[in-house]
Amino acid sequence: MAATSAFRDGIRRVNGAPAVLLGMFAVTLLVALPLSFALRGMLAAHLGPSLAAGTALSGTNYAWWQEFSAQASGLATTFVPSIIGFGAVLDNLSALLDNLPLATTIAGATAAWLVIWSFLSGGVLDRYARQRATRAHGFFAACGVHFWRFVRLGVIAWLAYAFLFGYVHRWIFTGAFGWLTRDVTVERTAFLIRLGGYALFGVLLVLCTIVFDYARVRTVVEDRRSAIGALAAGMRFAWRNAGAALTLYALNAAAFLVLVLLYALASPGTPGAGWAMWLALGLGEVYILARHYLKLLFYASETSLFQSRLAHAAYTAAPAVEWPDSPAAESIASAGPAARF
Amino acid sequence: MFPRFAAILALAALGGGLFSQGTPAAPGAATGQTNPAAAPLSARNATYAITARLDPRSRSLTGDELLTWRNPAAVPATTLRFHLYYNAWRNSRSSWLRERLLAASDRSLVERPAEDWGWIDITSLRLIDGGTPLDLTSELRFVAPDDGNQDDRTVVEVPLPRAVAPGGTINVQIAWSSRVPRTFARTGAIGNFYFLAQWFPKIGVLQDAGWNCHQFHASTEFFSDFGSYDVRLTVPAGWTVGATGVERDRRDETDGTTTHHYYQDDVHDFAWTTSPDFVERHARFEHPSLPAVDMRLLLQREHADQAERHFAATRAALRYYGEWFGAYPYGHITVVDPAWASGAGGMEYPTLFTAGSRWLAPAGATTPEGVTIHEAGHQFWFGIVASNEFENAWMDEGFNTFSTARVVEQAFQPNYHVKRYFGGFVPWTFYDLALTRVGDGDRPSAYRALAKVDAQATPSWRYWPGAGGALTYSKTSLWLHTLERMLGWETVQRIMSTYFERWKFRHPRPADFFAVVNEVSGRDMTWFFDQVHRSSNVFDYGVDVFKSGPATARGYFGDGNGRAFSDAEGPTDTYHTTLVVRRYGEGEFPVDVRVQFENGEEMRWHWDGRDRWKAFEVDRPSRASLAQVDPDHVLLLDVNYTNNSAALAPKGGQAARKWSLVWLVWLQDHLMTYGFFV
Repeated sequence: MAATSAFRDGIRRVNGAPAVLLGMFAVTLLVALPLSFALRGMLAAHLGPSLAAGTALSGTNYAWWQEFSAQASGLATTFVPSIIGFGAVLDNLSALLDNLPLATTIAGATAAWLVIWSFLSGGVLDRYARQRATRAHGFFAACGVHFWRFVRLGVIAWLAYAFLFGYVHRWIFTGAFGWLTRDVTVERTAFLIRLGGYALFGVLLVLCTIVFDYARVRTVVEDRRSAIGALAAGMRFAWRNAGAALTLYALNAAAFLVLVLLYALASPGTPGAGWAMWLALGLGEVYILARHYLKLLFYASETSLFQSRLAHAAYTAAPAVEWPDSPAAESIASAGPAARF
Repeated sequence: MFPRFAAILALAALGGGLFSQGTPAAPGAATGQTNPAAAPLSARNATYAITARLDPRSRSLTGDELLTWRNPAAVPATTLRFHLYYNAWRNSRSSWLRERLLAASDRSLVERPAEDWGWIDITSLRLIDGGTPLDLTSELRFVAPDDGNQDDRTVVEVPLPRAVAPGGTINVQIAWSSRVPRTFARTGAIGNFYFLAQWFPKIGVLQDAGWNCHQFHASTEFFSDFGSYDVRLTVPAGWTVGATGVERDRRDETDGTTTHHYYQDDVHDFAWTTSPDFVERHARFEHPSLPAVDMRLLLQREHADQAERHFAATRAALRYYGEWFGAYPYGHITVVDPAWASGAGGMEYPTLFTAGSRWLAPAGATTPEGVTIHEAGHQFWFGIVASNEFENAWMDEGFNTFSTARVVEQAFQPNYHVKRYFGGFVPWTFYDLALTRVGDGDRPSAYRALAKVDAQATPSWRYWPGAGGALTYSKTSLWLHTLERMLGWETVQRIMSTYFERWKFRHPRPADFFAVVNEVSGRDMTWFFDQVHRSSNVFDYGVDVFKSGPATARGYFGDGNGRAFSDAEGPTDTYHTTLVVRRYGEGEFPVDVRVQFENGEEMRWHWDGRDRWKAFEVDRPSRASLAQVDPDHVLLLDVNYTNNSAALAPKGGQAARKWSLVWLVWLQDHLMTYGFFV
């Protein structure tokens, strides 16, 4: 199967499992909501009964915002103008690419979300690999089966990304960038050099990601138990199918860029009060849902590509996971005939 | 060899009429003469004829100056003191670098490579006193009048064999060599871009109390006396030069260099820039009641499309400062757009300043307008009214921040918050966040963060190094704006213009400004300056208690047999409103207190703001709806204005919900961005 076919097939697989999409969206929302409530409390406490609240409600009260920021600590330090509209997307992408430190609370939430997502991704990949409904018990059983394998794989991935962000990033953007631009007096030239840095770092990140993506896919599809084996298998697959794997990655990345551009045009900015607030939230959530869709499309299309390049298409080694009987039924089943009477 | 002798002759000609002890005017000095028809604007106590040669290959600058100095003090001068600013970057033991490290954990400044550092050495110092020059080079010694740092070489002193009497004049010929640093403190070089400020041995200011010649400190700028500058600068042929003053002539040398000759009277410093990469543009400022000014813009090629933005901002500064405070007298101004990463942007020098822009400079933002107005404005507050930046930096930076914010409000609205992403290269304009004079121009955020660090009256060079900006720029702008809201713009404008007129081409001290305020306003404002200038008190007034309900009372009422218990005694159509306002900060300021009622009625009280709290209770026919302390936001130094008001139908919860939902989308997007890793 060509990369384009895998991409189309990925779309079909994601469309065929709307519950997975909605479920993953719900997970992200549920991780984010408690922090949003916490921030709401801080904002409400600072605004109190003041008149500043009125202008903050109907639009933006930058003077109040600055006062709030002046006394903010912890989670509240993330309440900055960049959260508005498309600024949020730029802020997050820029922070990731520039390896900016996260507020402790946000870092904690991100780590928790990554663990939860890792847990669920076993079920997601399993669902997309089977291309049939696995129901909740099948989904979560697959999650459980693959979780510790993914944890082991995650440790290796963490080491790889830590090396990239902790060492290579510093080498590119502090060492090489600083050295290359030391005597550059033209900002445009420096920006082009920086773009080169992003391209180089991006290529390394993408190569790393592709290997770990296919390692996860092979862990699920082939029921692999060794993380190292899965990683080696993922590497072999990516190497032998480099053209298709890279093209597929590029298609997915292009889809992400299209979404980002659309959101740049449609992002709501600062909402007013009442229905305008809910409309803005709705637009934002549609965008977040679309982000989930594209994230899952990565999974589904990569699974499709892998399965199509095996001996026979749609091959799934892992047996269908059966939800175990109740402990009582299991005891009865395992007991000898004499014990039944 | 440098034409040292020509410089001596030129300067002798310059100062001839004023000298009482110096060399007589040499006949035949062809250049550097003042225009005899033009009356001096300043005392011209320190007049220089300088020749300097820049060698970009070795990044060295060698020079020779003939200083004609007149003793302006009431005491004889037995020594001379000179600033050698480049020695601040000679090594990490200088006071400048030590102070920088006090406030910053970042050691990148001292970890710079060897080629980044700079220094200046006086190679010869001679008195030119009639006959044979007297060589005093061996008498030079470094002094550290501020902190006693024996390793600091930013001030050098030489004893004089004969004291210079008050009003007397002396000629000193100094040769020096220096290495131009990679930019520190806005002077230095990067690539082929050179910005040379504080680059020559510059005499301090002798006052009745002695030499005012501070070491170079991390949080201060400069102070020097007015004079004339006749400067010849030799640079590689084909390089553009911009400098204080105007270019009188230019001569191509046989060694592939060109000597540019600049001249300016009645200034207290001389800075210059050179680069082969400038794009040059010219425009003219014209105004019905102000002198015309020729504007020369030296622009980076990548900003060529921003020329008109620079001119518009400079015009706005010349116009509004001219209309509000006083005319710009020089007739010419040079705007330098510094090279990217040069670190030379946003700095003022007489008749020349550096602005600063970006390759991507969105129209809705005030880059380059804000910095251009500010630095052009320094021609007035620093260039013409030449307060001591070592000791009272707030007198130029603060006045100028206030003035800049006012010009931006007049001429460049609306403008918006801009944040730069991806290494600081990609701007994004937040059109929802319009910047205002109070919220942005006066820089309250910077002040809030460091409000208590030092009293403003502390000499600026003794400020905590990280606090200088907040106390000089922000706090002054906020209290001047507060003064404007108290007294009205008309009065404040008269104060500023009177101060400008009275102190132009002189060196005012804080008391001089305070005296003008009292005189023009007709009030004794000492209490105000005690609060905002002489203390580090923080202002914070707020509403503590606010409630309004039926005015009926509960309890026993009546006397004797008529005494009875009542749950609701009194008129039922009256509402009792209670308001307690509080002074949370140490700062004291008289404020208005306002209550608005549901029927539209409004009540106001004036509170002297001295006690810690004050209660107001009224019975009115309507329930109160909101209360405010300082409702007109006169006290702009109030660090928490949010708590200055209270509504009985608060909307804080709804607003918090709205913004927490906006933030929720940001957080979800953040999680999905980090979803890249799984």
